[in-house]
Amino acid sequence: MGQIVSIHSFRGGTGKSNVTANLAAQVALADKRVGIVDTDIQSPGIHALFGLDENNMGNTLNDFLHDKCTIREVAFPVGDNADHHLQLAGKPLWLFPASIRGREISKILREGFDVNLLNTGLQTLMSEFELDYLFIDTHPGLNEETLLSIAISDLLIVILRPDQQDFQGTAVTVDIARSLDVPNLQLIVNKAIPNHDIDDLRRQIEEAYNAPLTGILPLNFELADNGSRNLFALNNPGHEWSQELYKVTEAILSVA
Amino acid sequence: MSQDTIARLKKINWFADLPENVLVALAGKVIVRNLDEDEILFNKGDVGDSLFVILEGRVKVVTNDEDGNEIALNKVSAGEIIGEMSLLDHRPRSAGIVVLERASMLELKREDFMEILIGHPDLTLAIIRNLTSRLRQNTTYIEQITDMSRRVALGDYSVITESRIRQTQIEKGSEQDKVNQLMVEFVAMVRGIREREADLRNQVQKLTLQIDAGRRKRDFDEIAGTEFYADLKKRAQELRTQRKDKG
Repeated sequence: MGQIVSIHSFRGGTGKSNVTANLAAQVALADKRVGIVDTDIQSPGIHALFGLDENNMGNTLNDFLHDKCTIREVAFPVGDNADHHLQLAGKPLWLFPASIRGREISKILREGFDVNLLNTGLQTLMSEFELDYLFIDTHPGLNEETLLSIAISDLLIVILRPDQQDFQGTAVTVDIARSLDVPNLQLIVNKAIPNHDIDDLRRQIEEAYNAPLTGILPLNFELADNGSRNLFALNNPGHEWSQELYKVTEAILSVA
Repeated sequence: MSQDTIARLKKINWFADLPENVLVALAGKVIVRNLDEDEILFNKGDVGDSLFVILEGRVKVVTNDEDGNEIALNKVSAGEIIGEMSLLDHRPRSAGIVVLERASMLELKREDFMEILIGHPDLTLAIIRNLTSRLRQNTTYIEQITDMSRRVALGDYSVITESRIRQTQIEKGSEQDKVNQLMVEFVAMVRGIREREADLRNQVQKLTLQIDAGRRKRDFDEIAGTEFYADLKKRAQELRTQRKDKG
C-alpha cells in the first residue's frame, strides 16, 4: 500500500525541489518503488536534478492535465537514464515533470485546470506503477493544487528555513494539514546556520508545531554551487547535509 | 671637511634647516666610523657621549631578555640618527646597537656638539623646535588614543574605519613612525576584539521562534473559508481511504 508524501514550504527558496529529489533518490536506493510529481506548475524545477531539459523532456503533467496524454505517458524512468547518477541505474524511480515551456505555463495559469483530474492522475499512477512512495513537489503557498496534494497525503513534510517568515507560514500550513486530517506530519529545517543553537531550535520548532523535526540540513554552499544539476547526497555521501538527509529518509521509511 | 659631509648632514631631519655656517662647524667635528657586519657600536647601559648619523648600511637596536638572549627592537637605516637622547639627557644607553649590514656613520661627540651648540644659537633653537614639534605631535596622538580607548570601552568600534594613519613624509624608525605603529597596533587590537566578540555572539546565537497567533488564524480562515476547501475537507478522508482499500 503506497504512501503519498507531499513536500511543501510556505515560501519559495527553501530548497524544496532539491531536498525532494534527493529524498526520492534515497528511498529508491532502499529498493522502494518511487514516483516524483512536479505539481509546482508555475515554477517547475525538479527535472533539472535528473538531467532533464527542454530538449529531452517528453510528455509533461501539463499534457496530461490538458487531456493530451495519459499519466503513464508522462513518466520519465530515471533508472533508465541514470548517466549522472549511476547508483540509480535500474532503480524503479519515475519522474512526472511539469512543462518548462513558457507558453504552456502561462496557458495553465490563464485557463486553470481540473484539480479533480490531477487527483485522478495521482491515484492512477500510484496503482499503475505500484508505487511504494509518491513524492509530490508542491508549489509554495497554499493554492488549490497544493491543498489537494496536502489533502491526499499520507505524510506531509514541511521544509522551513530558520527565519521568522517561515516560522509564521509553517504554522498556517500545519493548521491546514491538521484540519485536513493528514495522518503524518514531519518538519525539516533547511539552510540552517552553523552557529545557531541547533538543540534549542529543534526544541522550539517541535514544541511550536507539535510535530517531529526529522532533519536540520545546514546551509550548504557546495550544494548552491552545484546549481541544481545533480543529486548532491548521491555524490557527497559523507557531507553533513547528506547525513541529515539520511535521517529524514529514515523517518519517511518509518511511515509505512 | 668636505662638501659631501655637509650635503649628507642636510638630508638629516635634525640638521636640514640649519644655516650653512652651522653645518660647516658640524662637518668639521664629525668622525667617520666604518663598522663590519655583527660589530657592536655600543651596548645597553654604556655611557652615552656620542650621537651617530648613519650614512650607509643598516643597524639593529637590541636589548636582552631575562635569560640574556638578544631581542631586536628595531632596525635603523641610512639617513637616521641614533644615540641622540643620551647625548642630551646624560643617561646611559637605553639599548645596544649591532651592525646588520656593513655600515658607515658619522660620530659626533658630546663635547664637540655642546661647543657648537654654545657658539650657534641657531642649532639650539633648531633642536628645541624639533623636540617641541615631536612633543606636540605625540601629545595629539595620546589625546586621540585616549578618545579612541574611551569609545572602544563603550563598544563603539568605528575607530577601525575612521582612523587615518598619516603615511606621508614619515621616516622609518622615527618618533612619528613609532606613534603610527602604535595607531596601527591599536586599530588591529580593536579589530581583534570585535572579531572575537562576533564569534562569541555567533556561538551562542539563539533564534526565538515567534508566531503571530492573530495572523495565523486570519490566514487559516482565509484559506479554509472557500467552497473548494470545504469540499476538499469532506473528500480528503474518503480519497485516502479509497486508495488504501485498493492497495
